[in-house]
Amino acid sequence: MAFLKRQQKVKFEGGGLVLFQEVPQAMLAEKVLKSAGYTVRLVAPPPELRKGCDLAVEINLVEQAGIERLLKERDTAYVSINPIRPGTAPLLEIVKVTDFGDWVMVKAGNMKITYEKRRGIIVNVSGGGCPDIPYLHAELVDKRLDEAPRPKDVGFTLCALNLERALEECLTLYAEGDKT
Amino acid sequence: MMLIAGTVPIRDMPLSIGEVTAGEEVLFVNGESIPCTQGTGAMVSAALATTTYLGLDAPHTLLAGDVGEGTGSRELYQYLIDHIAEISPTVLALHYWLPEMSQTRQLCEAVKKCRRRPLMIADAASMYSAKGAGLAEEFDIFTPDATEIAFLADPDATHPAYIARHLFETDIAQAPELARVAYKNRGAAKLLLVKGATDYIIRDGEVLAMVTEPDVPPLEAIGGTGDAITGLVAALVYAEMEPYEAAVIAAKANRMAGKYARATPATRVKHIVDQFPAVFRDNLCQWSGVCFLEGGN
Repeated sequence: MAFLKRQQKVKFEGGGLVLFQEVPQAMLAEKVLKSAGYTVRLVAPPPELRKGCDLAVEINLVEQAGIERLLKERDTAYVSINPIRPGTAPLLEIVKVTDFGDWVMVKAGNMKITYEKRRGIIVNVSGGGCPDIPYLHAELVDKRLDEAPRPKDVGFTLCALNLERALEECLTLYAEGDKT
Repeated sequence: MMLIAGTVPIRDMPLSIGEVTAGEEVLFVNGESIPCTQGTGAMVSAALATTTYLGLDAPHTLLAGDVGEGTGSRELYQYLIDHIAEISPTVLALHYWLPEMSQTRQLCEAVKKCRRRPLMIADAASMYSAKGAGLAEEFDIFTPDATEIAFLADPDATHPAYIARHLFETDIAQAPELARVAYKNRGAAKLLLVKGATDYIIRDGEVLAMVTEPDVPPLEAIGGTGDAITGLVAALVYAEMEPYEAAVIAAKANRMAGKYARATPATRVKHIVDQFPAVFRDNLCQWSGVCFLEGGN
């Protein structure tokens, strides 16, 4: 019978939490994110992550960059975005620099940017696996470091946040005139 | 049939399925032109170069435009969930998309309805979602890099950007130990090809082979070279090579292509892929022990 074939509800597994000071902020954020097409749900944060109110919005953690940007654009206040699992830290804290002679490669977490030392032109972007990375590759390559779009402004995912960190480091290195 | 599924960085490109053909600078699928750049485009280009050389059918691709919002990714998942049983490819290679674990679970369930179980390969974020969903063992081959093998070793991580602090060491030399942990935690596919300064081919935590030559360090900087390796592996297993042998030859071929291209950090991946026919012509017979004539003739 057709009415028995109702599709089984798919369990949402987000992996990330947006934390708030007050309950109305959490409810507003849920509305803003849902209206933009994000899959989210209101949940109680675990005690170790509780920073303000006892209501949080669970998100797909991978979408952190786009969600942060949307909440800021809509003036929706939040405290922080955290992975649900305690003891986890963002890998972008690990930055490595490789000197290729005429070029420098900066790796932040799982993302790498390589630029030409003399002119500060981005010649390659590598690493990552999220769908905004090939797009950011096309947007950044052949641009000057200081003229390239910022991954945090046009990307949507955790890979984009790592790429932003790599770009920040490239800008610092280039501005220092180090060029080594 | 070999089916490669993934997103491409073209905003609003509709879901498109079909056999891929090569143009001068781009790929064509159902009238859509796809750049041969980092991501699924590089993977498909490498697979097509290989099947063309071997005289095999061109890869079929299931592509959707997605610049990160996830809409195209969700369309890909749903199409595969709904149609994979009727398509029943020999090889199913999954690539860039927004990792979504519940849809990955549905896809793995749907794959069980195929006439014959396809050989399953995952790279990039499809590997993240497979591992995050606890389904790594359903896959035959993963192709992680040094950072991603640390992610596979972390039993609870769902993306390589957030992993346990004690796994932050992402030097490729740690790959065997991290792979051993990944297998213990059921976070690895049946075979791993870990891409890096040394390429490791690992099964059940045991290093079967290491590929170190030719040493072309700029390959790490070139966006898409890892994608190209995955495309090579997919095409070689489609040619009925054993996954282990396919992984070893893919690693060697990619390095040799870098050497032929005289790669610098500014080289584009298409220039690397363009070397594959010459690399195969000069080396495949010796590497594989099976000698093909170009084009399968």
